[in-house]
Amino acid sequence: MIANAISLMIIVPLIGALVSFFAGSKAKFVALVASLIPLVLSLQMYMEFDKTSKIMQFVESYNWVPTLGVKYTVGVDGIGFPLLLLSTIVTVLVIIYSWGETKKPNQYFALLLLNEVGVLGVFTALDFFLFYIFWEIVLIPMFFLIGSWGGPRKDYAAIKFFIYTHVASLVMLLAIFALYFTYQLPDGSRTFDMLTLLQATSDKTIFPTSLLNIIFAGLLLGFLVKMPAFPFHTWLPDAHVEAPTAGSVVLAALLLKMGGYGLFRVIMPMLPNVDKAFVTIIAIIAVLSIVYGAFMALAQKDIKKLVAYSSVSHMGFVTLGAVAFTWMSIQGAMFQQFSHGIITCVLFMSAGTIQHVVGTRVIADLGGLADRMPKFAVLMMAGFMASLGLPGMSGFVAEFMVLTGSYPTLPTYTIIVVFLSVATTAAYHLWAMQKAMFGPILKKYMNVHDPHSYELFSMAMIIVLTLIFGIQPGLITDIMGTAATQLMEPVVTLSQMGVI
Amino acid sequence: MDFSHYAPLWGEALLTALAVLVVLLGSLMKDSGKLMGYLSAAGIVAALAIVANTLTIAKPAIFFFDTVSVDALSQFFKAVFLIVSLLVVIASLSKYTGKGADVYYALLLFATVGMMVVASSVDLVTLFVGFELASLSTYALAAFDKSKKNLEAAMKYFIFGSVSSAFMLFGFSLLYGMTGSTKLADIAAASLADFGPATLVALLFVIAGFAFKMALVPFHMWAPDTYEGAPALVSAMLAAGSKKMGFAAAFRVLLIGLIALRMEWYLAFAILAAVTMTLGNLAACWQDNVRRILAYSSIAQAGYIAIGFVVVGAAYGAAPVTAFNGLAVPAAQLGIAGALLLILGHALMKTGAFIGTAQVASMVSASSEKDPDDISNYAGLAQRAPITAFCMLIFMFALAGIPPTAGYIGKFVLFSSAIYSGLLWLAVIAILNSALSLVYYLRIISYMYLKEPAGPKVSEPKGYVVALVLTLIAVVWIGVFPQSFVDWALQAAAVLLPQ
Repeated sequence: MIANAISLMIIVPLIGALVSFFAGSKAKFVALVASLIPLVLSLQMYMEFDKTSKIMQFVESYNWVPTLGVKYTVGVDGIGFPLLLLSTIVTVLVIIYSWGETKKPNQYFALLLLNEVGVLGVFTALDFFLFYIFWEIVLIPMFFLIGSWGGPRKDYAAIKFFIYTHVASLVMLLAIFALYFTYQLPDGSRTFDMLTLLQATSDKTIFPTSLLNIIFAGLLLGFLVKMPAFPFHTWLPDAHVEAPTAGSVVLAALLLKMGGYGLFRVIMPMLPNVDKAFVTIIAIIAVLSIVYGAFMALAQKDIKKLVAYSSVSHMGFVTLGAVAFTWMSIQGAMFQQFSHGIITCVLFMSAGTIQHVVGTRVIADLGGLADRMPKFAVLMMAGFMASLGLPGMSGFVAEFMVLTGSYPTLPTYTIIVVFLSVATTAAYHLWAMQKAMFGPILKKYMNVHDPHSYELFSMAMIIVLTLIFGIQPGLITDIMGTAATQLMEPVVTLSQMGVI
Repeated sequence: MDFSHYAPLWGEALLTALAVLVVLLGSLMKDSGKLMGYLSAAGIVAALAIVANTLTIAKPAIFFFDTVSVDALSQFFKAVFLIVSLLVVIASLSKYTGKGADVYYALLLFATVGMMVVASSVDLVTLFVGFELASLSTYALAAFDKSKKNLEAAMKYFIFGSVSSAFMLFGFSLLYGMTGSTKLADIAAASLADFGPATLVALLFVIAGFAFKMALVPFHMWAPDTYEGAPALVSAMLAAGSKKMGFAAAFRVLLIGLIALRMEWYLAFAILAAVTMTLGNLAACWQDNVRRILAYSSIAQAGYIAIGFVVVGAAYGAAPVTAFNGLAVPAAQLGIAGALLLILGHALMKTGAFIGTAQVASMVSASSEKDPDDISNYAGLAQRAPITAFCMLIFMFALAGIPPTAGYIGKFVLFSSAIYSGLLWLAVIAILNSALSLVYYLRIISYMYLKEPAGPKVSEPKGYVVALVLTLIAVVWIGVFPQSFVDWALQAAAVLLPQ
């Protein structure tokens, strides 16, 4: 077993980012190596990961600011590990997809690596202080990716993205302060340790329900904005439309998952102890996100905006599965995070490729591209099928588990989702696909051809993963099943686990 | 006479002697500007070393008939002042080298000595003398380049400054009349309540006097004009150094001398803090001149720092409910410590930011006639002057409170102390303001990094680059390894509270 595997995974891309910043045109090689190392490490961790254990694994803990009770504590369990794996896979594929980037490539690849540092930190941090720092660091590379490489309204989109999500983070920070100042360790001192604080929230003498409700609402807002859930999603379409392809991919595949991760790590352990009305509120938000996202996608003219709204819809399943709080729905929601993380890569890569090959993303202006781009068309088709929930691919498994698992506790909401979103989802995917790729080819597109092989390679790799996890979901869901059991039990702190 | 008894004050003595020497040598030697700069830098480093020796002095050392106190708090502020003036001197080495430079460095040294005296004084008269020494030196510095804009800025600064000094002095005289002493300890011991409304009048004048220096709304009018018009490096000194002197004085006078009136000044500062940060941030959003943006941002930051006073007022004397690493820390102490950390962070970030504007102005003024501080000059700075742009980028994020930087740690401790003392409403206003401030910080960043360059690549003067990079390292260092700074600030804060 590699010592300090997690810290290594965070440090290597950080160093890689610095090196590639100064590497000029060689940056892409640096970036590839710096992102492959965490991937190899995470695969190694996967081999060693004890799937049946509810105990935090690969834990590292050092004192950082002892005066304030801040520790550098990282570790993974079934909640964080699949997302850590997702981050390393997606980062490598995004770097390969962007192999042909010519505009300031050194900064571009440095930012992608810096982004990886942030998301890996978020998924592994077990101390609120550390968690918040990584949570905020993620904003910076994304701001520059949108702002420097984005479309016509990039400045507006970048600033809106930054401020909107930063406000939500600050509200979350206030809630963290409230947790921090309410709970005292037995020796009278304070701590930012996540599991300790979360465990304490179940004690009504320390956290009366009225106080906990406020704290809960603050944290929930921070996570729902990031997901994003209706009605806090308005930053997302702007950010996606203006972002470069790689920016959109990491935004949808990794950054949105931070919000979902927050739900599992922080919100769900608190859920049994807060006002029951929250369950209804979250369930309504989930259903609205799913249905509203799907209908908005149906109405879009820009294929990338369509994909952006499909993210809102798909992330709604995560919220629904989490709040339904059954073993299967939780597992499904976690798998939806992973599955949407990989599928959405193909969708955004498709939109990006169409943009730079054809020059437009407006669906009405496209037509018959499959004729000239056969390989690309197959991959895009597979991606869209995976996204609409074709059996045999990972999206189907995830959404099936969420809906089946949610029915026992939230039957009305589940039925609304089934009736309003399933057909709509199929409709916007198929309609866009048919209009853009099939039918007679338009004259002006006679000269287009398949994109570069590295772009096709990235997309193909993801389709393969989608199929693997669609046919054999147990590779990942076994881990999530354990995590789901763990979430339905009281929180256990690191010292009770005996890992520190 | 035993001089070693005065060892903790050698720093002040050294800088005073050096300032006189610089003026003398400057008048005797030709073209000595650069040499004077190096001499001043060396002197400040030596003074810093002397201060560092007594940085966490456990028991206050009292000098000169109980008027000067060397304690953890005074040393904290002295370190801040010395670091700021060191950075300004280093940057000045690229600009002030010709005729008259000796006077510039001498004035900087005198200003620094004045601030150091204020940091140590526990007597109203000593405090006033230090205050005036620093103020008079900076009035002259503000007009140093002798441009029309300089003169206007200096005039404004001088008039407002004199009026505020008069207010302050009037407040002091009332306090003296009521208590018969100018020593803060005696004033604290006297029963001020016997004097009825007169105490409130005294308090009002004292707060007004300090608030001018701290640039709290509504006493902030001079700041944007002066920071914009004065030479950029002097603005750095004003925003980062002289402003903090106002806080040093206010901490001593209000928290030690006038603690009996805390319910009154608590209310005043609660309103001042909330209004100042909101108006400062709102006004900054509408500016096109980067130095004016920085001026308003520094007004807003003063509003954040003022939260420290509110927390003390709200939680003074309350028993600590929180132990930090085995150490019981009451909310008031955490509040002061947060304010001190933000003072330290802000001093660094603002010095850096103003040095950055000086660098940009230096590459513009040669070529065109338009306002050298206009934000359009920052377009594409990342390609024209990459080091300056990168440092400015980090300073902007730090000012906005993005982790892991000094600005974040300061706000983190300060805002958390507001929650600790139950001032949720103030913490919410502060947090919303912090988000609002991103609007103009991101605007500067987007000009520097997202826009096409406004001109060709330029060389970056060495002095500026050294000062910028040193500041950058300090800002990030405090953010990543905050432990020793938090302990230091808590120790300094303890000086102001009853043991």
